[in-house]
Amino acid sequence: MKIKKNASTIVFEVITYAMLTIGALVCVLPFIIILSGSFTDNTTILTKGYSLLPRNITLSAYKTIFRAPKDILQAYKMTLYYTIVGTTLGLFMITLTGYVISRREFKYRNQVSFLIYFTSIFGGGMIPWYLMYANVLNMKGSTFAIWFPALMSPFLVILMRTFIVGSVPEAITESAKIDGAGHFTIFTRIVLPVLGPGLATVGLFLALGYWNDWYRSSMFSTNSETWELQFYLYDLLNATTALKQMSQSTSISTADLPTESVKLAMAVVATGPVLLLYPFVQKYFVSGITVGAVKG
Amino acid sequence: MEKSLTLLSKCNAILDKELDGRKKGIWITMTVSLITIILSLPFFSWVKLVNISALFAKMGITKEMAANLYTGYSIFNLLSFVQESGEGRIGLYAMILLIIMAAALYFNVAYVVRVIFRIKGDKGNLSLYATGRTAMLFEVILAGATIGYVVFANRKFGMKGFQTSPMVYILLMISLFSYLVIKLMEAEERTLYKEHGILKEIRKNWVLFVMLVPTFIYFMINNYLPMIGVYYAFTNFNFRDGLWGSPFVGFKNFEFLIKADLFRLTRNTILYNLVFIGVGNILQIVFAIFVSQVTVKWFKKTTQTLMFMPYFVSFVILKVLVYNIFEYQYGLINNILISMGGDRIDFYNTPSYWPVLITLFYLWKNIGYGMVVYLATIMGIDSEYYEAAKVDGANIFQQIWYITLPLVKPTFIILLLYALGSIMKGQFELFYQMIGNNGVLYNITDIFDTYVYRITMTQPLSIGLGTAAGLYQSLFGFIIVVLVNFLVKRKNPEYALF
Repeated sequence: MKIKKNASTIVFEVITYAMLTIGALVCVLPFIIILSGSFTDNTTILTKGYSLLPRNITLSAYKTIFRAPKDILQAYKMTLYYTIVGTTLGLFMITLTGYVISRREFKYRNQVSFLIYFTSIFGGGMIPWYLMYANVLNMKGSTFAIWFPALMSPFLVILMRTFIVGSVPEAITESAKIDGAGHFTIFTRIVLPVLGPGLATVGLFLALGYWNDWYRSSMFSTNSETWELQFYLYDLLNATTALKQMSQSTSISTADLPTESVKLAMAVVATGPVLLLYPFVQKYFVSGITVGAVKG
Repeated sequence: MEKSLTLLSKCNAILDKELDGRKKGIWITMTVSLITIILSLPFFSWVKLVNISALFAKMGITKEMAANLYTGYSIFNLLSFVQESGEGRIGLYAMILLIIMAAALYFNVAYVVRVIFRIKGDKGNLSLYATGRTAMLFEVILAGATIGYVVFANRKFGMKGFQTSPMVYILLMISLFSYLVIKLMEAEERTLYKEHGILKEIRKNWVLFVMLVPTFIYFMINNYLPMIGVYYAFTNFNFRDGLWGSPFVGFKNFEFLIKADLFRLTRNTILYNLVFIGVGNILQIVFAIFVSQVTVKWFKKTTQTLMFMPYFVSFVILKVLVYNIFEYQYGLINNILISMGGDRIDFYNTPSYWPVLITLFYLWKNIGYGMVVYLATIMGIDSEYYEAAKVDGANIFQQIWYITLPLVKPTFIILLLYALGSIMKGQFELFYQMIGNNGVLYNITDIFDTYVYRITMTQPLSIGLGTAAGLYQSLFGFIIVVLVNFLVKRKNPEYALF
């Protein structure tokens, strides 16, 4: 049976499709500007400015990057290292904590949860935090200071607890305990095998955080060998802007600076993996956000 | 073993004796609490100065400075000694003493009040004893730490210049005794209610405690230990004395902040967040409704995916974008303006554009995120409501107004409360990547987080000021969270944050 559409429904549908098209375009256009800029000849950008569609298509920007790829490869390597170490360790710690505070028989689960939650409503501020790593632990310049601070977050711990409570019924762990299983056995044999979606979701949140970070490099890196990819890009943008301003007053040659199109190509290279993977992992983020927002 | 057990039960028998309808043990411990409270009053000095002239000579205190100093100090005005003498080395310890003192007083007063008004928990006297035990524990720590302070200060100056007042030792002993008394009473009450203490819990669930060890280390290093550093907010840092030895200046940093930047920073941080919350939530709801109404599957999926995409790129990419669009020479907008025969706009030197631009890019990055939450809520609405409404002749706008929006309201309130709770937390990455170190724009784009970040990275001599700003931000935010939570809990406990 087909319901006849009345006038207001038609009006609404027109608005819906129009607004969604506009919304989607606004969200995606900036990426297209970057992408087309990276394929545009640099002199075209300098004379005619940025545009939506590439003019005078060329691969020269990418060729420039991969002709001397040492720096960017190093930044890629470091970011992969931080992402892998941080995600693995963080996931391990978050899962263990989520398991502990989901156990009913653990008397102090509420206190532990509160101590973790409390860190999100009160803190000592940025300077004491920075000095803790830089002066007390003396970790400035180390890779530790870059992956360690982002291992856990209250949001992810509570998200993980919600996943564990939702996927492992209390009755199953109870009966396992009666059969003589300890916490370690319950955790590895019963909880972990059914926790796939939870692990994927929390792991992806962690990985995205590591991949997109530039902030910890800006605070703790002392030499460019340990830079994160995003900070490498950030530094490139800043250095060229600063040098360009200087070259206007003095006679520094701008010929050796990365050109506009090279910067854009660099941005594409730095974001590419995320955007390529994004359609396949989107559903995990959706489930994480929904679960996290409702249960808090 | 046998003997000590009988001794214990004898002790318990004595403590269990009733006195005016109360156990004797409760009277004893309450008296100790009262004594502590009285001794905490500011006219009792806990730390005394001896060999004054030698001490002052060693600390480099001049005659004029000495006019403001006393010969004996309570915990409350001990910090004034640190400040007047210009000695930061003993400042942090004095501040920690003050905090312990506050905690001890709080629990002792709570204990006395609970005893007098006979406030009990749901398991007999167990929660009353817990309060008392905590009070006594803090007292023991306080007395011990005061004794330790004198030793510490004497060692710092390499001479015997400070002395603990004898009453601190008395306090230490009676509070230790009273701690044991409460422990004994508690043990009895526990067997009555089949509860167990922490030691037994550790023995029973030691695997769980082991699992928490990495987490404990992480939160200690990353969150709890740095809290000690708020002490810098009360010091005037210099390189000669270092972080812990720089002179203690009391609230000078805060006074300076109030005169200089505090109002502007608070205004910017809160106003931006209010706009983000308001406009953001409205748009997220509107777009979630749109997406939920689309029947063409590929269109629904594509638009949702595309609108969620900006959430996944880093803020550095956002910087690239903003730069490419608004740059003076080659930027997209100026490019279009020129080709249409207009004049260039110098965005990077005109502050008035940026509040709007920052809001736009915030929305660009976050619309997809909030939309996901609202979409899940809308999808969860029973379709029978809509069917019934259609039968009654409601058009699509009426359905949205009378069904969808009321049912989205709970989600909206939860998200709103969360957002209000963090209203003092700025979107650091967004602001820093959009504005960077462009001083022209600071007046209306500077928030706490960017202000403190600049101090951390470039002005080491101002770290006292920066810490003060951070502490103010943290405390203000904390008070707002607690207040919001309190009001919500009274009105509708289901929405409470904690």
